[in-house]
Formats: sequence, C-alpha cells, structure tokens
Amino acid sequence: MPSALAFILLFLNIGLLNGQSPPGKPEIHKCRSPDKETFTCWWNPGADGGLPTNYSLTYSKEGEKDTHECPDYKTSGPNSCFFSKQYTSIWKIYTITVNATNEMGSSASDPLYVDVTYIVEPEPPRNLTLEVRQLKDKKPYLWVKWSPPTITDVKTGWFTMEYEIRLKSEEADEWETHFTGQQTHFKVFDLYPGQKYFVQTRCKPDHGYWSRWGQENSIEIPSDFTLKDTTVWII
Amino acid sequence: CPNENCQMSLQELFDRVIMLSRYVYKLSTDMFIEIDKQYAHDHEFIAKAINDCPTSSLATPEDKEQAQQVPPEVLLNLILSLVHSWNDPLFQLITEVDGIHEAPDALLSRAREIETQNKRLLEGIEKILGQAYPEAKRNAIYSVWSQLPSLQGVDEESRDLALYNKIRCLRRDSHKVDNYLKLLRCRIIHNNNC
Repeated sequence: MPSALAFILLFLNIGLLNGQSPPGKPEIHKCRSPDKETFTCWWNPGADGGLPTNYSLTYSKEGEKDTHECPDYKTSGPNSCFFSKQYTSIWKIYTITVNATNEMGSSASDPLYVDVTYIVEPEPPRNLTLEVRQLKDKKPYLWVKWSPPTITDVKTGWFTMEYEIRLKSEEADEWETHFTGQQTHFKVFDLYPGQKYFVQTRCKPDHGYWSRWGQENSIEIPSDFTLKDTTVWII
Repeated sequence: CPNENCQMSLQELFDRVIMLSRYVYKLSTDMFIEIDKQYAHDHEFIAKAINDCPTSSLATPEDKEQAQQVPPEVLLNLILSLVHSWNDPLFQLITEVDGIHEAPDALLSRAREIETQNKRLLEGIEKILGQAYPEAKRNAIYSVWSQLPSLQGVDEESRDLALYNKIRCLRRDSHKVDNYLKLLRCRIIHNNNC
C-alpha cells in the first residue's frame, strides 16, 4: 500500500512538473471608465499550468443575444481589454467573461456585470497652482487653483465634478483635507510662516469614484511678511 | 419676487430640478444597494434577473453625442416621458414590497419618497418647458408599462427577480434623467461652457 501511494504521489508530481494541467480560473479584478465614454477591464490570469496559455475576453450586451470578443487587447496594457467609444454603451449592462485556454483545457472566470455608469473613476485634476497672497490686514494666505482632468467633459455638463484638496506642512505628519464642492480654487488661511507646504488635489464625478491624488506641488510661506507690511504701510 | 412677473429664472428652475433629480438618483441607488446586498454573489440570479425595463420601449439618447444632437425641447419632453413612465411601475413596486412579509422598511420608505419626488420633478420640468419653449407642444410619450401583470400569487423567486430588475431599472432611469438635465442646463443656461 505505501508503495502504491508513493507511486501515485510520484505520478502526480511528474504531471505537475510537466505542467500538464489546464489553466487556473482567471478573475476579472477591475473595470474602470475615466470619462463615461470608454472603459477598460483588467483580469488576473491565474495559474497557467506551465503551458502557453491564451486569454480571451468575451462580452454580451443587455438586450442582445450575440457574444462578442474584446475589440482591443493592446491599448490598456497586458491582461486588459479596452472598449473605445464605438464599443461603449452607457446605460446597458455588459456581461463579461475571461477565458483561459491551453493544450490541456480551458477555464472561464465568473461573469462580471458591468454598467459603465457605475465604474467611473476620473483622472486626477491638473494644472495645480499655488500662490501666497495677502489679506487686507497683510496676513498671508494660500491661494490654490486647479483644472478638471482633460478627458472628462465638464463643459457640457456630461460630468459634474467635485474636488478635494489636501495639504501638509513639511513638519506635519498628517494631511489636512478640504472638500471644495464644484469650485476649482480654494483659500487656506491657517498657515505657519516660514514653512513649506505640500498640496494635492483629487476629483469625483457626481456619480462615481474619487480619482487618485494628483501630482504634488509645494510652496514656502515667507516668514518676512510683517516686514514687507510695514514697508508697504510707510509707502 | 426677484423680477416683475414673479417668475423664477430659468437657471434657478434648472438648479432646483437638478437638486431633485440628484436626490431621486440617490434614493434609487440606496434601494439598489440594499437589494443587491442579497444577490451580488449569485451570478445565476443576476443573469436571470436582468430583463427589459418598464421604459425599454422609450428610445432615449445612448451617449453624450446623441444627447447633444437632440433639440432641447425634444429632450425635455423625453425626460418628462421617462419620469412619467415610472408612475405605474412605482405604484406597483410599492404595493408588492408592502405585501412581502419580511419587506425591509427602508426599501418601502425610499420607494414612497421617490414616488413623491418624481411628481415634483415632473412639475419642475413642465415649468422649464413652459418657460423656455412655450411653443413646444407637450408631446411627451407616456409609455405604457408592458409587463403590468401583478406579481402577487407568483412564486417567490419570480417575484424577487422582477423586483431586483425593476429597482435596477429605476436607478438607471434616474441616472439618465439627472444626466440629461445637467447636459441641458449647461446647454441652455451656459452655452456649453459650464
């Protein structure tokens, strides 16, 4: 008996070493639309069983019987499928499946039901500008300004965007976050003169997810404001 | 009164109507999240549930370009039709949910709130139409709910499937309404420079 068991184990081992197994189950881990006009889905390939494995993504749209294959595997990088404007219908559910195939067999992911409207995650805002300004009483404040991400169409109302900014002085450990609504500018008053501040922004469409935080920008709050003030005052 | 004839400006009307459409969208999203919690992992259930919407027969713009090509008064009438078409299905939904023994209260109260707010939404959109396009005939199409048979007496699964689909559709249509209204506000008030 023990020898039979050893034989079976050995046999299984050889089988695994030869990579003679069908591919593992792929998993669609994310679908995202940056602009409510196109979208991309990414998958985790799963085990390939040691054999060259082909992946294909198929989808069908709500109200249609046909199944189609992914129109573009390249644009969004490896293990992804990009749906350009032409292939994107918002307000229609896509049923998406990824199939993995090798010599030994194939396996399919669980289906994912995607409605483009609910996977919107924009790019971060851009053109972040910082400026130290003065109040009438000469106290300095920070003027922060930014623009919506290029590819999201805010002008026509297709997107209504809300923003958050966060700032941190070089000596602080924690970010201080402010929600600015639809405003693309913000004033910060409570500042320590002589310190450098780091600022970032992010945005969220009315019905969607927050973007990543955008590029960091920094500015130093001058410490000689009072001095300047008196000069101005004398003049 | 802000002006002589005591009329609210078009901008104010739009802002108010959009506040409503946003609120209705939020309510329907909450409803959907509530029901989806139970079925999110049941792929078979979802596959079976996804079906025609009460408003499927109503042709609405599918994307931004299409929406922008439709004349504003036509789009406004379409929005009217879309909101109006939910009167019966909503009423039915409320009756059904009320009949479910273990019905979650939150679902019911939200459905009732949507019913109320949709009426205000209709009034607001009609006001915009009357003010901005008084010459445009009210030619809204009031689509008839084609699947009106009552779900009472039907087996439990069919009832749950239909309920899931209806709430999914409600959320989608309220998103459409909100999105179209925001497009129109930028187009009519801000000349596409929001």
